[in-house]
Amino acid sequence: MPPQPNHDPITGRSMSGPILLVTILLVLSTFWALYDEFFGTRPWKAYQARFASKYSRLLQEKLGEQKKAEEDVRNSTAFQRIEQQTREAEEAVAPQVSEIDREVRDLDRRITVLRDAFQIARGEVTALIYQVEVASSERAKEKFRAQVEQVRQRLVEVELPVPDGTTENRSYIYDELESEYDRLKERKAELIAQRVRLLESANQLRAQRDTYLKDNLVGLSPLALEGILRRTKEAPIKIRQIHVKEADLVERCESCHLGTREPLLITAADMGGERVFASHPNGELLALHDPERFGCSPCHNGNGRATASVVKGHGRHKYWLWPLYHPENVEAGCQQCHVSDFVLDHAETLNRGKELFRLRGCIGCHRYEGFDNQNEVLVSVQKQLQQLADRRKDSEIEAERSIQAGDRAETNQEAQRLYQHAENLRVRASNLDAQTDQLQRRSGNLLREIKQVGPSLKEIRVKLQPGWIPVWLTDPHEWRPTTKMPRFRLQDDEVQAISAFLWQNAIQARLPRQPRGNAVRGKELFETRGCTACHSMGEGENQVGGTFAANLSRVGEKVNYDYLVRWIHNPRERTRPYCPFEKRDLTPADYAKHGLPFEFDLDHATCPNDGHQLQVQQMTVMPSLRLTWQDTRDIATYLITQRRQGANDYAAADFLEDNSLFETGKSLVRHYGCAGCHEIAGFEQEGRIGTELTLEGSKPIERLDFALLTHEAEREGWYNHKGFFEHKLADPAVYDQGKVRKPEERLRMPKPNLAPDDIDALTTFLLGSVNPTVPEQFRYNPDDRRKDIQEGWWVVTKYNCMGCHQIRIGKPSVLMTLPRYQDPDWREQLPPNLIGAGARLNPDWLAQFLANPALSESNLNRNGVRTYLQARMPTFNFSPGEIRKLVRFFQALSSQPLPYVPPKIEPLSDQERTLARQLFTHPAAPCLRCHATGDAVHDRTANAPNFLTAPERLKPDWTRRWLLDPARISPGTAMPSGLFRQEGERWVFAGPLPPTFRNYSGDHANLLVRYMLQITPAEQRLLLSRMARASSPSTVGLAANLLKSH
Amino acid sequence: MNLRNIAAFASLFLLLLVIGCGSAEQPAEETAATEAAPAAEPIDPATAATISGKVSFEGTAPRRRRIRMDAEVACAQMHSGPVYSENFVLNDNGTLRNAFVYVKSGLEGRSFPTPPDAVVLDQKGCMYTPHVVGAMVGQTVRVLNSDQTTHNVHPVPKNNREWNRSQAPGANAIEATFARDEIMIPVKCNVHPWMKSYIGVLKHPYFAVTGEDGTFEIGNLPPGDYTLGVWHESLGSSEMQISVAAQESKTVDFVLEKAG
Repeated sequence: MPPQPNHDPITGRSMSGPILLVTILLVLSTFWALYDEFFGTRPWKAYQARFASKYSRLLQEKLGEQKKAEEDVRNSTAFQRIEQQTREAEEAVAPQVSEIDREVRDLDRRITVLRDAFQIARGEVTALIYQVEVASSERAKEKFRAQVEQVRQRLVEVELPVPDGTTENRSYIYDELESEYDRLKERKAELIAQRVRLLESANQLRAQRDTYLKDNLVGLSPLALEGILRRTKEAPIKIRQIHVKEADLVERCESCHLGTREPLLITAADMGGERVFASHPNGELLALHDPERFGCSPCHNGNGRATASVVKGHGRHKYWLWPLYHPENVEAGCQQCHVSDFVLDHAETLNRGKELFRLRGCIGCHRYEGFDNQNEVLVSVQKQLQQLADRRKDSEIEAERSIQAGDRAETNQEAQRLYQHAENLRVRASNLDAQTDQLQRRSGNLLREIKQVGPSLKEIRVKLQPGWIPVWLTDPHEWRPTTKMPRFRLQDDEVQAISAFLWQNAIQARLPRQPRGNAVRGKELFETRGCTACHSMGEGENQVGGTFAANLSRVGEKVNYDYLVRWIHNPRERTRPYCPFEKRDLTPADYAKHGLPFEFDLDHATCPNDGHQLQVQQMTVMPSLRLTWQDTRDIATYLITQRRQGANDYAAADFLEDNSLFETGKSLVRHYGCAGCHEIAGFEQEGRIGTELTLEGSKPIERLDFALLTHEAEREGWYNHKGFFEHKLADPAVYDQGKVRKPEERLRMPKPNLAPDDIDALTTFLLGSVNPTVPEQFRYNPDDRRKDIQEGWWVVTKYNCMGCHQIRIGKPSVLMTLPRYQDPDWREQLPPNLIGAGARLNPDWLAQFLANPALSESNLNRNGVRTYLQARMPTFNFSPGEIRKLVRFFQALSSQPLPYVPPKIEPLSDQERTLARQLFTHPAAPCLRCHATGDAVHDRTANAPNFLTAPERLKPDWTRRWLLDPARISPGTAMPSGLFRQEGERWVFAGPLPPTFRNYSGDHANLLVRYMLQITPAEQRLLLSRMARASSPSTVGLAANLLKSH
Repeated sequence: MNLRNIAAFASLFLLLLVIGCGSAEQPAEETAATEAAPAAEPIDPATAATISGKVSFEGTAPRRRRIRMDAEVACAQMHSGPVYSENFVLNDNGTLRNAFVYVKSGLEGRSFPTPPDAVVLDQKGCMYTPHVVGAMVGQTVRVLNSDQTTHNVHPVPKNNREWNRSQAPGANAIEATFARDEIMIPVKCNVHPWMKSYIGVLKHPYFAVTGEDGTFEIGNLPPGDYTLGVWHESLGSSEMQISVAAQESKTVDFVLEKAG
């Protein structure tokens, strides 16, 4: 065994292994670093490569399809015909065209030669003339003039080409050369013009052929597709960036979302299921918001600059404040710029959120800038009134002082100055009076406009069954699942205390006793007068009707009949008027004190004690339907029978009269903010108890109190605004979980009973309620007619006009969706469609109509225009400001300018009047069959408005369009189309015409429009008598009836 | 030993790298199988079956509604006696007139040629004749006006396109087609609110309207299982399952009751 050598630490231990290892690691990590640099942190490169290949494949496919489609169009007989015609037209002129072309070519050759020669000669002449001009002496000038003349007389030799290909030698003096050159040029122009004329029809046909191809090929043309394909294949792999300078926006979203703006509509399925490559789902919206101007993140949120990963780009990261909106909340992005829009196209979820915020009474506790703030304005108006009164008083005192000083003044001049000063002050004071009047009117209007979400609780003693009150307060959703009243977390003793306070605090009065009516008739009236546009009947799946107002299935259990009758007759009627100045309800004694009858309504709305504007209406949006007392009682009788159990089946609530509960109840009412939605005596001026939500979406997350759920939320991934709102809305008490709190310290927000869709809508609205990060000019604050539209929507939605009327294209009214109105006969009973109403209605008339829809001071039990409709246009008692907004809204929606200057309507000549009368009474044009005439018997079967309303109501342009094709304006209308046919430039009546029309060359539709818009009651009577005469004496029928009434 | 480990490690690393590089996954191609519609088989007259029967009524007949057309002199003159609404016409033998009987299902997948001749709907004496009529999808419906007054013809369909055209006395017939099947399309005249007619539009020719004897017959029907439907303006709809063998002549009766 050889001796083991000593271990040499230098030679015996090779480092090669570790070095190799380290080297390999180093090399590998270099590769890794390089890979990461070029691909790992640039995932979009892979996206782009994938997009290019998938999109190219898709384009190839489409190209094949489109080529085939184009081929089909080209092979169609129509196309072939035009093609043939084009070819024939071209061939017909071909010999002439080629002759012209030949001649032009010859001319061109000669012109070239002549031009050269002429330009040389002209150069020489021009140079010499310049010499003449600059020569210093007359002699020198003379010399140059002679030279000019010499040059002009010199013969210029040219070799002119001739058509046979050879040349001929010609010589010209300067003037001859010029005129020959001009002559040839003119000839050429003439020939070219001739050529254009010859080819005119062929060119027209070719254009027609190309248009035909374009019109009949659905989708992109193969040529366009080939262009896109080429572009896609050649596209370099690089960051795609939008830079919006003024907003300092850098958006790289399209580095991955490559299909967003492609002209070819791409679906995820087209791209193998990759949604990232799909086109923007709403092209119309994208066209309105060009990404080059708006970027992506102002609408969608996310981090436009980040490209390293999907998570970073989408900003779904703890430290990024604006994470990409989830699909269900995507419309939150609209709110940033569209705060002032209550109804916004393409944003139905957001619209719903805003609607819920107002309708469900969130607004009762939470202020939101721009939402129904009449209360706040009223306070400021009252302050202004006070200031004006002070200023006026000061002016008067100052004026008095000035006069006294004037009397004592030392000089006349000084006296005059002081007197003048006093006079100025008084004139100024009188101007202040005018301002005061306006403000007072305004405060009266504001009092009219203030509405509350819930009913007045001052009236409960006259309105409600006492036993029902605690049942309702304990759990409103149990009693009426669809109610907007939220459920408060109340203990039994709290319920009792609140009930007792409200009961004892309410007005005590005796309402007139009402006899019962006919419930069967009442049901019919309820279903046909229009009640169901807002109210529903039946529960669960059987629910029929609108959701704007209460479901009335069990209303008979809670209300007193007498109160119900008063309410239906005029919901705005109060038992006592309220004086905001004295802050109390007035009693008959207040009126008696001043010797006045206890009368208060919109015409008697000043306080007898101090002259301030009174609240004389219930603050409900429910309008008056102008029903007769009989109709009212019938409906009330029907409603009072709507019950599951008798009113007496509720347990007696003796504690209502327990005075000891009063104070506890009062403090609970204050604590829970009941006055946010209800009118309660003593709480009229109470502020909102909740937090303001205008900017809730940009509140720092740390300030949203997740309480003990913070860790759970972080774990489950909902520690963000969306998660907070969703959980809070589903169960407002959720953040009290596990907390040790006294009852009065617990979260007060009641449970709103929202469906999941509603929670999404409200969450969307709240997420969008942010401090805008986009520059001012992005935000939608128009000051033209679009502003009128914005403002109008707030009023239209406040009173639920869409319950009865269609206002937006594609959005049916509530009535249109109800089972009753699916029947063809009932469909004709639908209130008018208001799309395009601004083009139809004279705005001045509309303002009058909105103020008084009966169009009569005495006969209120009717519709003013469509007397034949069962559904009644109610009286809303709009304030003048609201009427103004509505009128402007409808005019703006139809792009009508304001103020309206009615176009002059050409008076009818005698001949024209005769013709129009003949047409109107002709059996072929039975206008007066369907249109109401004011005669009761006839109007029973009428289903169109009285012509007598037309002159003040209708605009002529619309009336003409209506006559020509009514179905285009209002689909499904009873008015038939095809009454007129086009004959050359004019429209003529399509039926058999009276012989007198043979000599009339005017437009028949225009004639009728002019006649209708100038019709008078006397004229209508004349028409009716003629119609009566036209009937044979044995069967006078209708016409005789009509006559009797006139 | 160490080196081998390292090498193994390194190759694993490289392998991962390679996998990483090629990670652009290819999603599976979608295989969208388009179901081809079964081709239309021609009806073999040798095997064709016939269904016939009657539609009768049970219960107390409602009172007939009198139509007052005094207002329309031209029409009133065309009737000698009183005119009654045709919404409920009970024949003397207790059967119903104007019931629409049709094959509701069982013919899916077959296609039938559109008949070249038009279905005629006349307006005579301010009444539609016939009151109930059937047509095939795409078949021309020709509406005539035999009255000396202007009508408007206003079908109010749910699934088809609605139109409303005025038709003066002596004007050309209005010709229309309906593109989709629908039971039933009400047709009305807004000038004369009592005028009403119903058109049943089907994809096949297997329908019939009961007449004065309340019977119907649907022939040339390929053997098979069908749902036979009946529709009546005032009494609503009803249906029954039926199967017919080749060349079979089957008799089925419908009994409609007053609703409610």
